[in-house]
Amino acid sequence: MTDWNTLSDAEFRKEVRGFFEAEYPEELRNLPHRPKFAEIEHWHVKLHAKGWVAPAWPAEFGGMGLNAAKLLIFYEEQQRWGVNRGRDMGIQMVGPLIIKFGTQDQKDYWLPRILSCEDIWCQGYSEPGAGSDLANLRTRAEADGKDFVINGQKIWTTMAHDASHIFMLVRTDPDTPKKQQGISFLLAPMDQAGVDVRTITTLSGETEFCEVFFDNARTPKENLVGELNKGWTMAKALLSFERIFIGSPSLAQNALVQLESFARGRGAFDDPVFRDRFAQAALDVEDHAALYSRFADQLKRGETLGADVSMLKIWVTECFQRITELMIEAAGPDGGTIGPLQVGNVNVDVLASFYKARPTTIYGGSNEIQRNILSKAVLGLPG
Amino acid sequence: MTQTDMLSSDQEDLRMLRESARTLFERAGSAGRSRKLRDADGGWDADMIRELAEAGVFGVTVPEDNGGLGMGLAAGGVIAEEVGRVIAPEPVVVTVGLSLGLLRRLCPQHAMMDQIIGGETVLAVAWQERGPNGGPVEASCRYDGGKLTGSKAWVVGAVGADGFLVVADSDAGPVMVLAEAKASGLSFEKTAQADGSAMGELTFSGTPAELLADGTAVQGALAEAISDATALAAAELIGLSDRAFEITLDYIKTREQFDKPIGSFQVIQHRAVDLHVMREVAQAGVREALAQMDSEADPKVRARLASRAKARAVTAAKKITRDAIQLHGAVGYTDEFDIGLYLNRALVLSAWLGDDAYHRRIWFDAREEEGAAQ
Repeated sequence: MTDWNTLSDAEFRKEVRGFFEAEYPEELRNLPHRPKFAEIEHWHVKLHAKGWVAPAWPAEFGGMGLNAAKLLIFYEEQQRWGVNRGRDMGIQMVGPLIIKFGTQDQKDYWLPRILSCEDIWCQGYSEPGAGSDLANLRTRAEADGKDFVINGQKIWTTMAHDASHIFMLVRTDPDTPKKQQGISFLLAPMDQAGVDVRTITTLSGETEFCEVFFDNARTPKENLVGELNKGWTMAKALLSFERIFIGSPSLAQNALVQLESFARGRGAFDDPVFRDRFAQAALDVEDHAALYSRFADQLKRGETLGADVSMLKIWVTECFQRITELMIEAAGPDGGTIGPLQVGNVNVDVLASFYKARPTTIYGGSNEIQRNILSKAVLGLPG
Repeated sequence: MTQTDMLSSDQEDLRMLRESARTLFERAGSAGRSRKLRDADGGWDADMIRELAEAGVFGVTVPEDNGGLGMGLAAGGVIAEEVGRVIAPEPVVVTVGLSLGLLRRLCPQHAMMDQIIGGETVLAVAWQERGPNGGPVEASCRYDGGKLTGSKAWVVGAVGADGFLVVADSDAGPVMVLAEAKASGLSFEKTAQADGSAMGELTFSGTPAELLADGTAVQGALAEAISDATALAAAELIGLSDRAFEITLDYIKTREQFDKPIGSFQVIQHRAVDLHVMREVAQAGVREALAQMDSEADPKVRARLASRAKARAVTAAKKITRDAIQLHGAVGYTDEFDIGLYLNRALVLSAWLGDDAYHRRIWFDAREEEGAAQ
């Protein structure tokens, strides 16, 4: 087994880049939507054979065992080549959770099935009354013989209609002094009578989000991960690396490249006002990337990132939105047109980019929540 | 070596430089000292010039062979940031970026180099000229037979300077000459600035001046020195913004209304976070631009990087100092509170050598030119 961490950063980057460029299917590059598993299965098979499905997992569980610095390079290269993340909820969320808090039996049973995508996972966190205030969740799980019985509703469950299993935060004790207590982490199969999935049509016409209804759905008690009523702490522990990843410059960088080629084709650069706004956006991206490297360097030195990393997400998502708004401006009368717009020999789907940018300031902790975090944890403001 | 020891020795040098510059300014009285100087006559403190010289500040980017520290622009930026934090009126950026920027490129052996690095002499640099409509025009100041005729405008550091490095035209092409402040035929008008300083409007009528350099090298060195000074002014604005934000953060934590610190209100908190994020992005962007200038030889690319730095620094400083006044409420509008000094200095530093809109234009054009060349 290769210990990737012994390679230099440059060697490792070359290795990863080489593999993606040679093996990643051209038709899947920069997919504008989230694919169902069937659409990307041929790529997953290749990735699995290479042993690269789970870059962050320790090697003993079938991962690549990358340290933070190498992991960052892996993701940078993935985004650079427009490689789809695949159906990675199992890899990103469930696997690390089981590795950290699961029993030996849970590890032996679930981890190989996650790697092979025999099980496809979705994440059941948000509820109609528990979005930014996630700890307010009400979906109940009650012990009944060998099972938990689940009642309630999850929402914004990404790709639940193409998932075999759900990992969820559920309330197992309704009578605790603080609402963060009494929450547990539970795994459940989707294919049963008590689970009903309905897709939500978004502004862009996509159906990647779902509502999931639980009506006396059941899951065996051994599907509890970690201690009963300790789910909140565990969910928070999973977020540490996520926080720099979600603030990576790549979304905005890719959008800027698209904007530039589109605007050039349409002659938008003849307008000095547009030139200035483009320059602003381009410098916003460049200076954000400088800040991102500062955090990435911290990771590379083996330091733990503080709450201040949240500012990367705030800046880059708002910048991403401004860039896609400039695309619409550059499109002029085509600004409301669905589908790719032809400019020379380039196709740019202006509206798809615009819609893609909208929820980035909402998901992963809305930017208002991020501002609350920075205000209290970094600036030390009271209340 | 442990992981946390892995800061490079360069970064470690910069950290030490920052600490010593900060200690020096704090010991002298920080922004309070700057206020006193403003109230006195808007000049600077000769003792401080000597102290800065002893600390090696002026020679920071001058190669060691020419009597400097040879540390590069990133180190100059560290010092400029500290100058900005205490809004010190001493002409550090003018000296490091412009006067020594020109001399070390055009006449590194000249005795004036040592005098400036040693803090015995301060020179201001005059190259721009004002046209009939008040804006900048093509330079027409002449140097003939050892004498200068014409005028120069927007000369920063003119009040208190011992002499002027003047870029002029001659029969032999562009020249850089040195005119003493007390030279005959040199008249001088001050234009008062928002921060209490003054810029000089110089008129030469047969003013004797020493020829230091001529030929096309003069224009090249001038462009390079302007890039350096632009980048350093950006760094000064970064330090200024950093301190203005700290002052504001302290204020909103202590000022109470409705029986609570105003910093406990979410609308204030989110505005404070926006300023903080702007400050961090600006600091990262400007420091990166200066570091890249140190490893870049092409003057055009260096100019683009300087424009990137100044564009960002001005945008950040404008937003931070103006919002700082709003967050202070009515007291922010008084002269008594220091925050206003930061706003006023930001106005002056933003306008000098081009503001953000100007530098975005320059940056964009440079990017287009580089793109076309590839």
